[in-house]
Amino acid sequence: MSIKIRMRGKSKGGVAEVKALIKHPMESGARMNKKTGKPYPAKFIDTVKVLVNGTEAVNAQWSGAVSANPYMAVQLKANAGDEVKIVLTDNTGEAGEETLKLK
Amino acid sequence: MKRRSFLKGTLATGAAAVAVNAGLLTPSTVLADWNKAAFAAKKTDDALNSVYGSASATASGDVKLKAPAIAENGAVTPVTVDASGMSGVESISIMASKNPMPLVCTYDFASSAIGYVSTRIKMGETMNVIAVVKAGGKLFKAEQEVKVTIGGCGG
Repeated sequence: MSIKIRMRGKSKGGVAEVKALIKHPMESGARMNKKTGKPYPAKFIDTVKVLVNGTEAVNAQWSGAVSANPYMAVQLKANAGDEVKIVLTDNTGEAGEETLKLK
Repeated sequence: MKRRSFLKGTLATGAAAVAVNAGLLTPSTVLADWNKAAFAAKKTDDALNSVYGSASATASGDVKLKAPAIAENGAVTPVTVDASGMSGVESISIMASKNPMPLVCTYDFASSAIGYVSTRIKMGETMNVIAVVKAGGKLFKAEQEVKVTIGGCGG
């Protein structure tokens, strides 16, 4: 199962703001299960990359302190028609990607 | 080498180092994979040292940090860091000073990106949000206190 990403982006005067909503529990590994007294196992997205036309523009590292179902917005030097791709993986190796053609 | 342990399971990230501006490479940016030491650090200075190799950041008005004065739910605190007024922004990190592990996220930028990040973070209690920006090889920061009425950790 891959991680679901919803993204939107628009270019204005050579600068594109790309927003993404990611569906993910972002379990930090510190939250306790009160019934068993054991922590919920960590499961969070740790690397996120944003590529413009196949070239890496942003390389992010996250911890479990990013909110569940993360929202992310970045600004890129890109024009309408450029292809923006988000690639991410979590600490368990699950991955997700999504591509968007800028308007 | 320490590097080896970071490489496991993330073959796709191998291309990362290529995109980083060759003249600005630092040990931490070469290690494009997850910086375990930085995220495990319990103090903001230790985390900064692990990420940037230095903890001395200068407060700067060009680092615009937008966070709510009062967050009703600490588990989703919107934070925006805008350093688009600065030139040569290489990296932005967001830290929550009193979280058990303060470093929340680090963003490294290639020349095709602008120094701007907006995200949502978890905060356990009332504390300062610190944005650290690396531009032109120097560290700059901005700080803001966020009052948390419901904690976002361990809930």
